[in-house]
Amino acid sequence: MGALGASISIQGVSHAFAAGAYAIRDISLAIDEGQFVSIVGPSGCGKTTILNLLAGLLVPQEGSVRLGSDAPRAGRHDVAYMLARDCLFPWRTARENAMLGTEFRGLPVDKRGARADEFLRKVGLQGFSGHYPKALSHGMRQRVALARTFSLESPILLMDEPFGALDAQTKLQLEDVLLELWNDERRTVLFITHDLAEAVVLSDRVIVMSPRPGVIVDDIPIPLPRPRSVRQLQKDARYHELYAKVWSRLEVGLSQAVAAK
Amino acid sequence: MTGAPIDPRQVARWRVRFAQFAFLAVFLFAWEWASRSRFIDPLFIGRPSVIGRHLWNGVFVDHVIVKEALWTLAGTLTAFALGSIAGIAFGLLFAMRPMAEKFFDPLFAGLNALPRVALAPLFLLWFGLGIGSKIALGFSLTFFIVLNNTVAGARSVDPDWLVLCRTLGASPGRIFFKVTLISAIPTIFSGLKLGLIYALLGVIAGEIIASQHGLGQLLTYLAGTFDTDGVFAVLIFLGVLGVLMIKAMDVLEGRLLRWR
Repeated sequence: MGALGASISIQGVSHAFAAGAYAIRDISLAIDEGQFVSIVGPSGCGKTTILNLLAGLLVPQEGSVRLGSDAPRAGRHDVAYMLARDCLFPWRTARENAMLGTEFRGLPVDKRGARADEFLRKVGLQGFSGHYPKALSHGMRQRVALARTFSLESPILLMDEPFGALDAQTKLQLEDVLLELWNDERRTVLFITHDLAEAVVLSDRVIVMSPRPGVIVDDIPIPLPRPRSVRQLQKDARYHELYAKVWSRLEVGLSQAVAAK
Repeated sequence: MTGAPIDPRQVARWRVRFAQFAFLAVFLFAWEWASRSRFIDPLFIGRPSVIGRHLWNGVFVDHVIVKEALWTLAGTLTAFALGSIAGIAFGLLFAMRPMAEKFFDPLFAGLNALPRVALAPLFLLWFGLGIGSKIALGFSLTFFIVLNNTVAGARSVDPDWLVLCRTLGASPGRIFFKVTLISAIPTIFSGLKLGLIYALLGVIAGEIIASQHGLGQLLTYLAGTFDTDGVFAVLIFLGVLGVLMIKAMDVLEGRLLRWR
């Protein structure tokens, strides 16, 4: 890691999957170390493309991307990546799944076990270490995925709609789990979602994008006090104001896109 | 009336069992009657009571069926073991190195499309009348089934898993052995189950064509001497043998793949 620590910087990045058809266009974004930033936008706005560029799964065609002071590379130890699907291996127990990342990153076996146990406890699965994924609900499986991600100790987290496949109730529970985990050790998070409420609840800033080609419509600070809880925020007038603001900006993005067509 | 509630599923199960038993009894009686009254010539259909005696003698008294079955079983298990090892080895090679698959494709596609029994005369020439030619025929069937299942299993690995492993910094070799290979095991296993049955098929076919030993040879001999009862006895024994082999594989699968 360089002098810039766990910051994220994206400058003038454009990316097209077919000639002339930009997925994202001229994206510039800076995220400070320890900040929680969400990107919201309709599907196909290039949210995942941005994340894949940061994860080193794609190479930018124009512009530059930096994590700390270095270019992204898949497998960097200071970056952890979490997908919408839990991606648990069905032949591994919850504990063994939670140890997958630390195993691939070469941690000694006793340390892997200790970290897996610690984070399984933090996500509320202490009694389920020996269960195979088939015996776990969707929500529990995504909790295991959270434990796997956080046990990596990576200061930068890239999360691609990690709760997108869950039902509304489970989602709220897991948002609380994530808030707690993040509050314990404030890592730099880039969180992709199309759920505006989720973005407002979790983030320090919400980036609003327009549909293809994805451009940044607005960058809205969320100055709600921390630690937060999903349920308490429902009664907070400021939360609803911010939600309405994000919603209106998203609408602007959508109508611009319609007008452009 | 008893106090304990009766599980309706249990009742349904016993009903099916009873119906099966009743059907079998009626069928055997009708068969016995048709044969005894010469309604149908016993030369074609044998007689259940005599078939039963043949089976009993062959298995428990003079052991003729058991002795020949050991030859068949030895051939089947050898063909299965060799065919599976080769099939899995080539399957993994193809999964790791697609160029190797492209290279072998014309040869393997041709061999796989060829009715393998047609190779029997050649195998007899190469490996003789003994067990070798039977193993070769069984191998030729098992190999392709296990090969195709191994390739299919290794190909069907969840792409998201591979993305996750890449972001975790796992080397391609580790990804292959820790993810691709393990995720392919259920598919490989269903190939093995089928492969075992086909190994038996190959060996029996080989024994029928030309052999000194084995259940296939016994079948040809009995049919040649118009011993229809003996033929049916061997067929029943073969059916039971096949079922037991599948059951054994199911038990092994249950042990190995508890996570499923």
